[in-house]
Amino acid sequence: MFHPKQKPISSSISTMNNNNSHHHERPMCVQGDSGLVLTTDPKPRLRWTVELHERFVDAVTQLGGPDKATPKTIMRVMGVKGLTLYHLKSHLQKFRLGKQPHKDFHDHSMKDGERASSLELQRNVNASSSSGMLGRSMNEMQMEVNRRLHEQLEVQRHLQLRIEAQGKYMQTILEKACQTLAGENMQQQQQASGSYNNNNNKPDISVIKDFGPPQPINFPSLQDLNIYGPNNNDQLDLHMDHGFDNFLTKKRPNPYNNNNNNNNTAGKSPLIWADDLRLQELGTTTAAGSCIVDVVDHQIQINTGGDHNNNNNSHIDHHSLNSDIIYETKPMFNEHSIIRENNKKLERPSPRRVAERMHHAAISAGGTMSQGRGSPFG
Amino acid sequence: MAMVMDLDFSNFTYSGTTTTTSTTTTTSTDDGCNWNNWSPLIDWEALSGDQEDFHTLIDSMIDHNVVLQNSTWPNTQEEYNSLSPEYTIMSTDDETNSPDDFKGLRLIHLLMAAAEALGGGNNKCRELAKVILVRLKELVSPNDGTNMERLAAYFTDALEGLLNGVSGGGKHVLGGGHHYKDEHHQSDVLAAFQLLQDMSPYVKFGHFTANQAILEVVTHDKRVHIVDYDIMEGVQWASLMQALVSRKDGPPTPHLRITALSRAGSGRRSFSTVQETGRRLTAFAASIGQPFSFHQCRLDTDETFRPSSLKLVRGEALIINCMLHLPHFSYRAPDSITSFLSMSKTLNPRLITLVEEEIGSTSDDGGFVGRFMDSLHQYSAMYDSLEVGFPMQGRARALVERVFLGPQIAGSLARIYRSRADEEWCSWGKWLSEVGFQPMNISFANHCQAKLLLGLYNDGYRVEELSSNKLVLGWKSRRLLSASIWTCQDI
Repeated sequence: MFHPKQKPISSSISTMNNNNSHHHERPMCVQGDSGLVLTTDPKPRLRWTVELHERFVDAVTQLGGPDKATPKTIMRVMGVKGLTLYHLKSHLQKFRLGKQPHKDFHDHSMKDGERASSLELQRNVNASSSSGMLGRSMNEMQMEVNRRLHEQLEVQRHLQLRIEAQGKYMQTILEKACQTLAGENMQQQQQASGSYNNNNNKPDISVIKDFGPPQPINFPSLQDLNIYGPNNNDQLDLHMDHGFDNFLTKKRPNPYNNNNNNNNTAGKSPLIWADDLRLQELGTTTAAGSCIVDVVDHQIQINTGGDHNNNNNSHIDHHSLNSDIIYETKPMFNEHSIIRENNKKLERPSPRRVAERMHHAAISAGGTMSQGRGSPFG
Repeated sequence: MAMVMDLDFSNFTYSGTTTTTSTTTTTSTDDGCNWNNWSPLIDWEALSGDQEDFHTLIDSMIDHNVVLQNSTWPNTQEEYNSLSPEYTIMSTDDETNSPDDFKGLRLIHLLMAAAEALGGGNNKCRELAKVILVRLKELVSPNDGTNMERLAAYFTDALEGLLNGVSGGGKHVLGGGHHYKDEHHQSDVLAAFQLLQDMSPYVKFGHFTANQAILEVVTHDKRVHIVDYDIMEGVQWASLMQALVSRKDGPPTPHLRITALSRAGSGRRSFSTVQETGRRLTAFAASIGQPFSFHQCRLDTDETFRPSSLKLVRGEALIINCMLHLPHFSYRAPDSITSFLSMSKTLNPRLITLVEEEIGSTSDDGGFVGRFMDSLHQYSAMYDSLEVGFPMQGRARALVERVFLGPQIAGSLARIYRSRADEEWCSWGKWLSEVGFQPMNISFANHCQAKLLLGLYNDGYRVEELSSNKLVLGWKSRRLLSASIWTCQDI
């Protein structure tokens, strides 16, 4: 629990502002019509109430943090009448220096009730500890550490989502290239596919088992995604999540279904984003066209790609994984197991996807595949 | 082997001013890595002299090599060890590695000699360079051998290209790297690109650092407009869109508009490729619920950027995105970049993101050979990092080297050769600050992201905050890429 980030706002500010030795003296205050609390000094000073400070912090957060926010932009965002640039300037300065409690992103994840009670708690704590400068600075240091840790965790989660998004986008490019070429070589591939599939069912299965880290480890849970996803767009994140699941769990097994039962034309082609686009561009006629398939209660778009051309393609992608290639790449991932242990959310590119890419590369590097098939890359 | 190679290269500073120029070898480097003194081949000091003398020097070196291969191994190695205590430690109990390692050093010397001969300018020198290159070609092949051998092969090819280009006035060599994208099958390029992304953080570092900076300046905006100098396949934007749709404060997902510059001709930056990228991005955006539109801004053949050809909308946050010198990017003419950046300034963008290569600081006064060695050092660091990234994947690495690095080596040597000493190289970051762009601070989150990203790859990568607005990605002691952020507006 990260307590008290909220220091004795009223007391610390007002004493600071008074800048005299009467630490225990509270100046009399008046509340202006704009809600601002001003001291009754000859020179009225602003009292930074908890509420006001909260608005300030919200504004700063919105503006990208204390280093990005400027007094002018904060004033605009806060929109509090009577608040001057002067007030904001000095408050921001203190805020940046860490003199003021940092209230950062993880506050937002707290429920309102929690926030209220922790504010209450902070007030109590502050009341009792405000006398000790040492205690306070220790407290601040700890807060700072906490803040940074939380920020780091946040960054970590974001990073993973970004890597996934980039990987997925890359996947669409590769698939497109693969399909284009496959279209050119359709005849050849159809000829080759029969013998090829038979030969490789077993090794491929074992490979998948070896590389099947449980899904929960690899991907953020739905709850996590919901936290970071926009409230109004849950479907999107679910979509993302299942998109990745689909790559790993749905996509690979599909070719088997296909092999074992060639009449089964549903749900075997890779999930793609640009389904409409690709269908148009390939000019292929699919048996089923694209449709919406309900997967695990969430809607996710799958291009069913019912034609054999597409199917053959995915065989190339996923079946012909050469086990040598996969084992060779394995150590690389082990090196990073620490990261996984520390934070299961963050992972490097999926081994399988890498293996798949390796496969692409192996092919295009001019290697002959064990099955002697034509390369999808030509 | 990797360890020994490390010793050779990565932990090693080529000081462009002295060690790399055999004509001035009497001075030593400042950091103790004086390889003139531990040259296994030649007593450099004895042979150092004025420019004319190195012909004999090279000849003797070549002769030496021949002899060396046949009979004199043990002797030379002993001498070598005695001169380099560090080396002794590394190699005493690993005799089998020594020949490779030793060969690596010899290759460096030969390359250096060739570069020097080529830099000599007159016909005699050129003849000499030719001889050395022939010798080098016997020793190395781009397809196999150690890192150093493959690297040397690409450098040999590049030098040979220069040599032939010079004598034949070949325009194509001087433009080296310009057309290479077209030489490879598109699927090779894509596969190599994908591999590069998996093997190293080079691509993602640039993209993610820029994207994070973009996200931080548009937290409040309802409309964001990014002008992208070189969009290529558009990979950078998938992650930005993902981040935009999942941001939790500020107004709902902003509308994102990307204007990509496109060029005439074919290849990865042509009109049609950019158009396809646009379609792909549009489809991706639709799939995640990101409001998005895409435009092209076609450049003329002289690549002059005309802001008037941009469609601008009032109230949009304008971002200029300029990715240069990423390993998968081809070379862009400075005029083109200058035109783009200086014209961008008139648009008063909120943010300019810039990713470019870091050139060794000693390269300016080292002349052609100095810059040649700097380039050799840079690419050797890159080769090293890729080897560690995918140790067992020779073929995958070979693909990346063939598709991206080889052509880049050729291009960068051609430019170094062409510019010689007459033009002072300066980084685009420096240029930006000179023409009045203001640096913006890299946030903690951004720095943190870069560190985490590197953590996903092998040890050896590191990130430095070289100034408040710039993150530098390095491999061991060598800085390779930098990402910096700038603005034209008052902060």
